[in-house]
Amino acid sequence: MRRRQFLKGALYGTGSMIALGGCGSLTKVDQKTLAANQIAEKTVYSTCEMCTSRCTMAAKVRDGKVIKIEGNPNDSSTAGTVCARGSAGVSLLYDPQRIKKPMIRTGERGTGKFKEVSWDEAYTFIADKVTQIQQNYGPEAIAFASRINPQDAFFRQIAKAIGSPNTFSHEATCPMTKTTALEMTFGNPWIAADYGNAKYIITSGRNFFEGIHVSMVKGVMKAVQNGAKLVVLDPRFSVTAAKGEWVPIKGATDLAFFMAMANIMIKENLYDKDFIENYTEGFDKWVEAVKDKTPEWAEKETGIPKEKIIEITRDFAAKRPNALVEFGWRTPWTPNDYQCRRAILIINLMMGNWEVPGGYYQKKGAGVLQPFPDQAGYAKPTGGGYGPMPPAPKPSKGRIDGAGVKGTPGILIPVADGAVGQIPESILTEKPYAIKGWLVHRFNPVISMTESERIIESFKKLDLLVTCDVYMTDTAYYSDVVLPECTYLERYEPIIDQSGLIPKIQLRQPVVPLVYPDTKPAWLIYKELGQKMGIGDFFSFKDMEEFLERQLKPSGIAFDQMKEKGFWSPADMKPFYMRGKDPKAPAAPSLNEKGKMHIFSHEIEEAIPGQGIPVYTKYPQPGEGEFRFVQGKVAVHTNAGTHNVPVLNELMPTNSLWINSVSATKLGIKDGDNIVITAGKYEHKGVAKVTEAIRPDTVFCYHGFGRISPGLKRAYGKGINDNKLIPNAIGESGNVVTSMTFVKIRKV
Amino acid sequence: MKESTTAELYLSFATIFHRPHPEVVNHLEELIELWEEEIPDIMEPLAALKKFCQIYAPGETRINTLWEHYIPLFETGSVEAPPFASIYLSGDGLVLGTETIAVQTFYNSAGYAMGEKAEQLPDHLAIELEFLALLARDGEEVLLENFRQKHLIPFLTKILPRIKNGSRPVYSSVAQILQSWQLG
Ligand code: SF4
Repeated sequence: MRRRQFLKGALYGTGSMIALGGCGSLTKVDQKTLAANQIAEKTVYSTCEMCTSRCTMAAKVRDGKVIKIEGNPNDSSTAGTVCARGSAGVSLLYDPQRIKKPMIRTGERGTGKFKEVSWDEAYTFIADKVTQIQQNYGPEAIAFASRINPQDAFFRQIAKAIGSPNTFSHEATCPMTKTTALEMTFGNPWIAADYGNAKYIITSGRNFFEGIHVSMVKGVMKAVQNGAKLVVLDPRFSVTAAKGEWVPIKGATDLAFFMAMANIMIKENLYDKDFIENYTEGFDKWVEAVKDKTPEWAEKETGIPKEKIIEITRDFAAKRPNALVEFGWRTPWTPNDYQCRRAILIINLMMGNWEVPGGYYQKKGAGVLQPFPDQAGYAKPTGGGYGPMPPAPKPSKGRIDGAGVKGTPGILIPVADGAVGQIPESILTEKPYAIKGWLVHRFNPVISMTESERIIESFKKLDLLVTCDVYMTDTAYYSDVVLPECTYLERYEPIIDQSGLIPKIQLRQPVVPLVYPDTKPAWLIYKELGQKMGIGDFFSFKDMEEFLERQLKPSGIAFDQMKEKGFWSPADMKPFYMRGKDPKAPAAPSLNEKGKMHIFSHEIEEAIPGQGIPVYTKYPQPGEGEFRFVQGKVAVHTNAGTHNVPVLNELMPTNSLWINSVSATKLGIKDGDNIVITAGKYEHKGVAKVTEAIRPDTVFCYHGFGRISPGLKRAYGKGINDNKLIPNAIGESGNVVTSMTFVKIRKV
Repeated sequence: MKESTTAELYLSFATIFHRPHPEVVNHLEELIELWEEEIPDIMEPLAALKKFCQIYAPGETRINTLWEHYIPLFETGSVEAPPFASIYLSGDGLVLGTETIAVQTFYNSAGYAMGEKAEQLPDHLAIELEFLALLARDGEEVLLENFRQKHLIPFLTKILPRIKNGSRPVYSSVAQILQSWQLG
């Protein structure tokens, strides 16, 4: 009767609890303790993380459970609202499909065989492998890639401490060409648009009403309600196009449109000469560059009638300076997309819309206000939270993507982001040197980066692949170690600076205790991993309370106040435009050494001769039977992050391929037909959506679908994974290239 | 059936539906022995379990094989049979729903609560079974039957067919045995 001992011992031998295997969760308690634990209803103010826009939010909590997420009613920038994704955060929090324990792979990569382990086992496994790679190949052979977020600083701290220069964000797959353009023109990327006061807005593909950022949406809506004209250049009739005038431009020709606008503005004297003279340099070279870029020429390139280009330009310029061309969000369309973004910025400079209502402005964090005596008193900058740390080892090799090296093309790649597409290339080709370990934090290369199959192929050559996420993502599925992060509703993060025309800092804080007790916040995961790796000195803070207290101390704002309100802005400060009262007032962008904005960029010219001023590249157009393949965001999903979130999956479980009705008829395709999309060696099945709302030479799908991890049960295998069809090219500013793929379609 | 046997049976099922643990996995044969002695008409699942034990001797391969099935069945990602009562009985398919609160309130009324170091939610299948083992051990027959009728049976009615039909070794057999014992 062995079993009598085995089970009996557990039942009767250890006091009131059961100590056997995973048992022992239930303990005896007295009623007094229980009564003390009763929790009343409360509202906790925090910051949303259902996308990277970081809107303020309010969570209603009853009996320790989040019952609703709303906007923060005290925040005028969002008018107290969150979007559909923001309110769906509750269903992410309580999703049974989240990862609950650290896991280590037990089968071949991609077979989905794992065992659950303790955190200590997971850390030890990672630390041992990292040490091996460091010894065999050097610390630079370990790459780090994450989605930009306040907490990914802790992840990057590991790279810094071991001396790997190879840190990357997801930005190359999204707004990086815009970032490059801003840095090369203004000297920094922290520039924003004052949509709400604009009288005319032109957007090149930016789809405000589907790629939602709540305060920006509110701004554009306010402008439109006040009678502003909204012009949307897009091969597809997007929701934003539906709210304004749709200009169905030929793909990859937007730069021609903007060069022609400049040509007209110069020829007809429709630009702000004083502004150009006082605040910019290199305009003469721009005049030269656009002198033959006539509306007639642009009509041939863009497919937009010259009369329309002239009409838009004149009407737009008439609203000077309270009008803007939007610089875009997900922008890596062509290899040299940054030149199109630069041209957009130059048009804005010609409008003199810098630091005036309805134009562009330097985000007014407390640091930016300091040189302005009448503004400096409104806010004091926050500080660092890490505490003392030893000097970081100097990387012995340069980055694999050459980012940030002056005088070379790498200068176009923002160092904070990097050309993430280089990681799989360096794994596969071992050039400029081999990458052997890849640590991934809240990023999903398989779906977010181009050429999914090449990414997976690269995984197979790695000695170590670690993913930290909330779900068993497509990348986690192939990983050696999977670390379960808790959600944004269960953790603190460093202070978030969301300043606009006035300073604004926000807190992300736990709204409820951990739902799954063995998940952890990123700060703790990387602090503990750091300790295991012997680099604990780089994390010399006890906990996030201490970290945040340190950050807030120099600002004079109390931590308790932040916890109570969720955000802080100076109550009595008015929106600050540097040129609001005097159009000749000093208004240099911050960090711009010369104080002038660069229409001509010496830095670019030095790196790539002949490119200091935007130069038009004539890209091929689709031939007979081919279509340009473009993709975009949808209002109820975020990139590759939300397709398995219960409520959002229910709202939109799959996507389809938009094809123009005339083109579809030629191919014998009807709405709802099953199709195969072919791009070079890759194929993807899908369903056709036949519509008038797209150019006949273009097809479109929403991004982030067609998931390959069975661990994402709701999203698995549903719809088209656009990135399976797009080759992994690296653009001039390190960007992926999303809109240069031509596809063929056939009915099945 | 004696109270101590009832307690042992509840505990045996609780240990299986908790995350695989060497203390339990390496004693699978003893659990099989208990079920064989105490639960009638379970020849087929017993045979399957015995075969599993023959193929996989106690040790790393056995526990890794169980992980391979436990994770997609209960734990992460596809979660073929979410082990939380709330998923089936609270209406929104999410964890920590009304059924979780109801179960927790029941635990409290019986003088139990989830400890600070608890690694599971209160309405996890293994925790409910563990609770019943404690009630049986403590001779709390009325409470036991009350909890069984109100919470366990409705939960088992929903979850056991999923585990059984999922054809994951060990778990589908144990689900069949538990079904025979509890749902007749
Ligand atoms: S835009 Fe929506 S999802 Fe993104 S932060 Fe704001 S509320 Fe959250």
